[in-house]
Amino acid sequence: MSRTAGQERLEPRVVVNFDRPSRRYDPQETVRLQYHVAGTGDAQVRMIERSALWYTEGKGEEDLGICFFERITDAEHLPPTQRQGEFAFRLPASPMTYEGTIVKIRWCVRVRLFFKGRRDFVSEHVFDVGELPPAMPLRQPPTAPR
Amino acid sequence: MVTFRLPRLFEKKRGSRRTGSQAWGQFGEACFYGSLLVAGVVFTVILGRRILEAPGFASISLWTWLLTLLLPGALLSIGGSGLARLLTGWGRSEEGMAALRRFPEMFQPSGRGFDANEFPSVPPWENFNNSPGTMLRYRLPLESAESWSVFGFGLFAVLWNAVVILLAVAAGVDFVGGQTDWLLLAILVPFVAIGIGGVVVFVRALVLQNAVGPTLIEIADHPLRPGDRCDVIIGQGGIGMFRQISLSLELEELATFRQGTDTRTERRVVREEPVAEWRAITIAPGHRFEERASFEVPAEAMHSFASLHNAVTWRIAVRVEPAKWPKFTRHFPIVVLPQRTGPTLLNTPPAGIATVGSGR
Repeated sequence: MSRTAGQERLEPRVVVNFDRPSRRYDPQETVRLQYHVAGTGDAQVRMIERSALWYTEGKGEEDLGICFFERITDAEHLPPTQRQGEFAFRLPASPMTYEGTIVKIRWCVRVRLFFKGRRDFVSEHVFDVGELPPAMPLRQPPTAPR
Repeated sequence: MVTFRLPRLFEKKRGSRRTGSQAWGQFGEACFYGSLLVAGVVFTVILGRRILEAPGFASISLWTWLLTLLLPGALLSIGGSGLARLLTGWGRSEEGMAALRRFPEMFQPSGRGFDANEFPSVPPWENFNNSPGTMLRYRLPLESAESWSVFGFGLFAVLWNAVVILLAVAAGVDFVGGQTDWLLLAILVPFVAIGIGGVVVFVRALVLQNAVGPTLIEIADHPLRPGDRCDVIIGQGGIGMFRQISLSLELEELATFRQGTDTRTERRVVREEPVAEWRAITIAPGHRFEERASFEVPAEAMHSFASLHNAVTWRIAVRVEPAKWPKFTRHFPIVVLPQRTGPTLLNTPPAGIATVGSGR
């Protein structure tokens, strides 16, 4: 991103601490976490979005399902006034984290910072739902596309 | 202070992410859809005026109106819907858009007899449970890929041979009239060969599907959970010898992706649990092979999953090897729910979507 004169370089980062260091939860459990925003200097953050979601990885197009979404726009709850935050959400019964061969399902928490006059910044923190063993391929498809 | 960056001519693609500006991309899309919309409006105005000023305006039929407005109507609908989609997503994050899309789901009646959010992303199973079995509780529907193949072969044979008949009639009329169109005859020969081939393939598929008789699967319970044990009954119609009939439980992954302008689907079996196997079976006329077995869904199994482009599906696979016909496999999908995890909390509200503060 190019910068205009006088605009300082930002290296934002978001440190997230889950209430469980293993970051492994069962379906329908409540996840609690705290986050700390650093590296934003005096830049004006106009909004923070914090969300919990699953998304697919692998050969197919990415699909995404949202479980929790919250938008904060009050200046008193935004950096630089307030750099810490916490939130909690209850996981649904499905889907569970899955490490397949061509389909993978991952759960994550995202904290997205929207700056005034700058590009937004997103920080993603993966966690596990359930504890399933990874899948192994048994046989190749008869007509594997190239 | 607002940063402004001109668009780059060449951009990099890193995985699914691009280095280009999203704002410029959206601006380009807006220009494209906007121009379609403007073109639609201009066409509608010009064509409308011409029709209204035409001398025989009152006698213009409804079909003429519809045909005339087909192109501007398509331009208006594509341009308008594209612009509406862009405006809805303008300035929103990927998560924000997903949350916005989720609202209609939250207010929809589930139609399943339980909370629609109870098992998000698990495919619905009503269609598997609406056919009662004669010996066990449910009769499972057959995955219809085989029937669709036969239908596809039949459709191709009919359409292709219709074209062949038209060409043959044209060639015949020429011949009766004392003319011989050699080019038409040259085209007709390979067309007739392909037409005959299409009919042969269709008849073969039809005979294969029906000659060995239908396969029937009934199960005692559905949907299932990891660790559940379930009784199953297999029935196989047909006459004569079968070398082998086997039953297994399979887990298949399915991924749909775009490659250029094509949409492709890849399937991969990642788990196969043998259930039962029978060898050297003879079915007498008027009877069918019928056996009972039981299977267990693996305790650490992934549940059934379906999203727009990806799926993980469980199914019962029946492999049949007749003595006189080619062997075949028939699949009967089932739904496996997630593992039970402690006391149920299904009636407590799920995680929510909220906006804190004054909004944008």
